[in-house]
Amino acid sequence: MENKKALIELKNISKSYDDELVVKNVDLTIYENEFLTLLGPSGCGKTTILRMIAGFIKPEEGEIIINAKVFNDLPPYARPIHTVFQKYALFPHLNVIDNVAFGLNNRTWNYLENFYGKAKIESEIKELSKHKPISVKKAIKNLIYKDSLQALKLVKLEGFISRKVDQLSGGQQQRVALARALVNKPQILLLDEPLAALDLKLRQNMQYELKEMQRNLGITFLFVTHDQEEAMTMSDRIVVMKEGVIQQLGSPKSIYNEPINRYVANFIGETNIIKGTYIKKDLVNFLDVDFKCMGYKFAEGEKVDVVIRPEDFDVVDLEKAKLVGEVVFSLFKGVHNEYEVKVGMEKLLVHTYESYEVGQPIGLTIDPYEIHMMKVDDSEQGV
Amino acid sequence: MNKEFRVLSRPYMVWLSVLVFFPILAMIFIGFSNLDSSVSIGEISLSFSHLNILTQSSTIIAFRNSLIFALATTFICFIFGYFIAYEIKLSKFKNKFVLLTLVILPMWSNLILRTESLANIMSENNILKSLLGFNIFGNIAGTWMAVLFGLVFTYMPFMILSVYTALEKIDFALEEAALDLGLTPLKKFWKVVFPLSLKGVVTGSIMVFLPTLAGFAIPKILSRGQIVFIGNIIDNKFIYTNYNHGALLAVVILIFILGSILLITKFDKEGETLL
Repeated sequence: MENKKALIELKNISKSYDDELVVKNVDLTIYENEFLTLLGPSGCGKTTILRMIAGFIKPEEGEIIINAKVFNDLPPYARPIHTVFQKYALFPHLNVIDNVAFGLNNRTWNYLENFYGKAKIESEIKELSKHKPISVKKAIKNLIYKDSLQALKLVKLEGFISRKVDQLSGGQQQRVALARALVNKPQILLLDEPLAALDLKLRQNMQYELKEMQRNLGITFLFVTHDQEEAMTMSDRIVVMKEGVIQQLGSPKSIYNEPINRYVANFIGETNIIKGTYIKKDLVNFLDVDFKCMGYKFAEGEKVDVVIRPEDFDVVDLEKAKLVGEVVFSLFKGVHNEYEVKVGMEKLLVHTYESYEVGQPIGLTIDPYEIHMMKVDDSEQGV
Repeated sequence: MNKEFRVLSRPYMVWLSVLVFFPILAMIFIGFSNLDSSVSIGEISLSFSHLNILTQSSTIIAFRNSLIFALATTFICFIFGYFIAYEIKLSKFKNKFVLLTLVILPMWSNLILRTESLANIMSENNILKSLLGFNIFGNIAGTWMAVLFGLVFTYMPFMILSVYTALEKIDFALEEAALDLGLTPLKKFWKVVFPLSLKGVVTGSIMVFLPTLAGFAIPKILSRGQIVFIGNIIDNKFIYTNYNHGALLAVVILIFILGSILLITKFDKEGETLL
């Protein structure tokens, strides 16, 4: 990440509504060509951050820096940023192609001449003038039409150009909204829970398509969602937020495997959080058993929270097991089985391919590198 | 719907046919027949001789007056009404209902009473002059200005309410989307807000245009009989018991009204803006 160019920098941003601080001193750097997701439950301030970057609201404190310029006071229309809104916000009085071309159609000629560049306009004039001479304006209009068609092709809606938007399905409206933003060639595309209204199958398809598009177009995507699976699938980096504060920032893998606190661990997928004691380097005790661990450093004898993902348990014969428990609940999940295993007073969630009956004893071990530890923080109550 | 509930609609259906539907049929019949007090039942026949009233210069002038005043009133109501409606929509005032109540408050008093008092303060000596020491309106009673003012004053609320309803229905996300796509606030208004509020403008215009076109009380009172609308001619025809001419002219007005209703249903399929 270090050698990448920073596109957006948020420096110490704060915002409150009715005296309630919804974004608290947020620092965040977004790089070129990355897919960054703001993840958190509703009311955690993620949409507020998005709207501040888009320019709909102003931060009370801090700076929004885009391309090394302070953007705090610039209105939305002067920013190289476009948004895909949660409910699409398509214009009902225009058809599909007019919706897509809306942004460019309403720009000044000066803007459009810069947007397309002299060379492209001239070659367009040359091409069209074979039959009859045309003006610069007409050439530009033609370019806009071509680009809009291209954008619709990109979202696989080229057959719908003259449809009214209210005759489209939710998924199709979503695609039009995407094309409408992309045709303006933004440096940054903001997506405000754009998939929330789609059904599961459609949502999964769109996830792959969005990721694909972001890779091919080389645009920075800033995605807002409360769905951790969605965030995992698409993002290069994820920002987990809670009550206006960034909890953790990192790749999906690092956030999943090494959550920084209980809140993140619970929010990102199912997990086991067990109270333990750090005995000495590479040795931790939990559930009254000493385990080898690696890569963590705490004070000797310090209380820690141990995080073990359900799929990280190894199910073994009883004599080889470090932990022996009793299956108290089982669920067939298709690929794997999900068991609740009672070890001492603690109930553990275990995923395995082996099959066990409820009431059967089960032996578990954990590899040292699968044991993750977090500092105990009394204020963290989990989700 | 329930059978019991359908029974409840009967009285009004009877009322509607006895006092609206049959009178309209009778009116059309009277307009196109020789029926009057001197004709006995056996001699009744179709007659188009009354159509000559339509080409009389007094009728044409009255039609022209009605049309010009109706168009002017609609236009003025549109310009001012739109901005008032837009201001109310933009207003940060918590209870917009209070603002709307202020708009319709004048409509709660009787039309004739309101118009008579307007005529009073438009004339030379009036209570406001004694209170304030000067004449707010000057002495415009009896002029076209007085009539126009009275019409705009009376029918403005219809425009404001229709436009306001249409404006309030525009999703705010659409305005944000327009700004996001690079439109300046002024351009956003012309390209998004105004086109989406047109329904309300059309409905409001028709609701102003029709009563102005067909009305007779306001011009009669405020122009002191100087400016004659088609409504005044019909009024006079019935007062002087020339039912055939009165009925015929009323049928013409009816055609205007039906045409406008067709226009409304074309523009406003969901009946959203109709109050």
